[in-house]
Amino acid sequence: MTITATATPLLELRQISRQFGGLHALSEVSFQVKEGEIFGLIGPNGAGKTTLFNLLSGVTPASSGTIHWRGQAMQGLSPDRHNRLGIARTFQNLRLFTGLSVLENVLVALHRQPQGNGLDALLNSPRFQRHQSALRERALQLLDELGLVDQAHRQASGLAYGDRRRLEIARALATAPALLLLDEPAAGMNPREKEQLCELLAQLRQRHQLTLVVIEHHVSLLMQLCQRLAVLDFGRLIAVGIPEQIQRDPRVIEAYLGSSR
Amino acid sequence: MIDNGLLVQMILGALLGLSVYLPMAAGQLSLATPAFYAVGGTLAALLSTHGSSQSTISLWAVLGEMLLAAGLTAGLALLVGLPVLRLRGIYLAIATIALVEMVRVAILNLPFTGGAAGIFGIPQPFQKPFGYVLFSGGLLAVCGWLFQRLEASRLVRSMAAIRDDELASRCMGIHTTRVKLTAFVASAVLAGITGVIAAHYLNTWNARQGSFDVAITTLAFVILGGSRSWLGPVLGGLLLTALPELLRPVGDLRLVLFGLVILLGPVFFPQGLITPTLLERLGRWKP
Amino acid sequence: MDTLLQTLLNGAASGGVYALVALGYTLIFSVLGVINFAQGALFSLGGYLTYLLLGGKIGVNGALPGWGLPIALPFWLALLLAALGSGVVGLLVERIAFAPLRRRGAEPLLSLITSLGAGVVLVNLLQLLMGAEGYAFPQGAAGLAHLPDSLLLGGARIRTIQVLLLAISALAVASLSLWLERSRSGKAMRAVAEDPTTATLLGINSVAVVRLAFLLSGMLAGLGGGLIGMSVSLAGPYFGISYGLKGLAVLVLGGLGSVPGAIVGGLVMGLAEALISSAASGWRDALAFAILFAVLVLRPSGLLGRRQLEKV
Repeated sequence: MTITATATPLLELRQISRQFGGLHALSEVSFQVKEGEIFGLIGPNGAGKTTLFNLLSGVTPASSGTIHWRGQAMQGLSPDRHNRLGIARTFQNLRLFTGLSVLENVLVALHRQPQGNGLDALLNSPRFQRHQSALRERALQLLDELGLVDQAHRQASGLAYGDRRRLEIARALATAPALLLLDEPAAGMNPREKEQLCELLAQLRQRHQLTLVVIEHHVSLLMQLCQRLAVLDFGRLIAVGIPEQIQRDPRVIEAYLGSSR
Repeated sequence: MIDNGLLVQMILGALLGLSVYLPMAAGQLSLATPAFYAVGGTLAALLSTHGSSQSTISLWAVLGEMLLAAGLTAGLALLVGLPVLRLRGIYLAIATIALVEMVRVAILNLPFTGGAAGIFGIPQPFQKPFGYVLFSGGLLAVCGWLFQRLEASRLVRSMAAIRDDELASRCMGIHTTRVKLTAFVASAVLAGITGVIAAHYLNTWNARQGSFDVAITTLAFVILGGSRSWLGPVLGGLLLTALPELLRPVGDLRLVLFGLVILLGPVFFPQGLITPTLLERLGRWKP
Repeated sequence: MDTLLQTLLNGAASGGVYALVALGYTLIFSVLGVINFAQGALFSLGGYLTYLLLGGKIGVNGALPGWGLPIALPFWLALLLAALGSGVVGLLVERIAFAPLRRRGAEPLLSLITSLGAGVVLVNLLQLLMGAEGYAFPQGAAGLAHLPDSLLLGGARIRTIQVLLLAISALAVASLSLWLERSRSGKAMRAVAEDPTTATLLGINSVAVVRLAFLLSGMLAGLGGGLIGMSVSLAGPYFGISYGLKGLAVLVLGGLGSVPGAIVGGLVMGLAEALISSAASGWRDALAFAILFAVLVLRPSGLLGRRQLEKV
């Protein structure tokens, strides 16, 4: 899929700042994300990357500045509203529904699919049953894409770490987003697994017509995956551009104190 | 042994247990059930004794009272629920306790509710306890059927998700406020209609019926029975209501017993009696 | 009809007791982040202990009618010992209701439930022992007998006992504040409240601090119960529960975790109740809860508390 040069970027941040008391988590961050691209967000620990995701998903409001989604400003919307507008995310510290099964984690996120109403459920009408099997089918499809279909009936808390990360992705995908925010999806993975993840993400983007924004603080993964990168340091945007440019940018190198590999 | 009178009380206990369970199933520790129970009971007491001093009342009238109680408690729950359900954890629990106390004092002080002594001579739709057994048992059965049917519904699944992680639920597009409010209102309505039945059964009604004590006992039902399935509070309610009566000498220690259940339950039996493993074995739990 | 001054003084006196209860909650909340629902029960316990230590006898409905301690202590000693007794039981509550859950890493909300259970068990044991009826404290309790029944202040008569109540609770609050501010263990407690991880790294024994918090908290509750018993009476074992719940209202009003908030909140609550008591006494009990409810809905962080943010 090619990156279409549309006039309006899918996502635009204008002078976004977020303070917590005296702490400036983000200071006047501005950049754009084009539809269909894989956009990387990097920076040392504490640079404000997750805070940015929290703003984009509606978990926390901006102190100043605006976020534009498909050209429209998003102000003070709830997280569920953000999701219904087309933004889904995963969490750095994993927030699965641990009491539910793998399948149920995905089912609960399939809110865009017709489910029938309560009355249908009570009567167990044919329409309800049809909806239920359609839901299950869709959920299993998503799990299959992420290699989790064999564990569909396991409780989410019983999964291996890597599988849990993938379940979070499956769950986020179930909400049928246009933009998927991935917070450190490769955490805890060895190089081979990271390779596989890159391939998987590229496939998912293709198949689901997604735009991806990926946070990582190990830069090498993003270099091969992303079309463009933004670099944060102490809440400020210090560089944005294509991987080759970023790699050579002296400010970026300085921010990472020479560990830009 | 267990006579019909005790059986009625056991079933009422189970119904109240279900009422406490509902918000918990959505992750909300709400202790508001006694308030709505009191409202329902007071409404029934007032309506059925107003102007007349008959000792019997038709079942249709009672059903009418239940309908009115459902409407009243639903309205109250909506009014109170919206601001209160924004609170989390401890704050929510405390707010609901405050609500219970306010309702109790209000009922105590309102001129037409009979003060501390309450309302007497509430007419009976049934001449013998067995009638109540059938009636309340029927209500319990209907509730059970509803719960079972709705297990696969989006509502219940969302409740379970919110219970595990409310923030993640919101980020996955779930209308958490709507779901929590639904659980809260359903809990209130159930408590209210149980109050109607209780008022008639007990023949008298006063402000103490909706006291903090009731919050404790109903909480104990859920702790003992387990809060992962609707069967838990039902079992807890049946057992804990029967137990003190069966162990006559323990009668005086009834509240001590409940206190111990609440004190030691979470420590030794974190999942209560009806655990997910048990349900799996019974073939009811779909993992 | 009470004069305004009398009303205000009554309010301040009961406000002082509310502050004691609220401070008890605050200590535990600031080091553990949980509410100890057994606080009200400890309040009742303090009342009954004081009664017995003053030489009172168990009533006819109790387990051992007519029994009493063979001593009758002066009031200040009785209060002190009763407070200590409540403190020790507070430690027991920590052992049974809080520690096991903390060890398991369970949700903090569960300890709300277990402490509730502990409170219920305690109050009902008290009921079994002492009976449910009210107890008036022995007349002419040692040390009080020679004080006048009421004082003349600015042209109005005020009950001496109210002044005493206010004085003692003020003393207790002041000592606690001073201790927190100046003493080594007090500073340790504040450190744990501020940042438990760093406190441990600095070598502070947080387990000991937690236990100390429970001891002090229980003592404050016990003292409050004794003072109320002395000035009003013990209206059955559940009277403590009522104070416990109102103490919660004060806690929330003043802001969870804030010591000055608990004091200010206590006084505000006491005064508000005293003022409404003269107008519509039946509704007085609802006032505390109405205030609590309003604060929770409008400003959960209370008057002087800090906002809490969730980590994502």
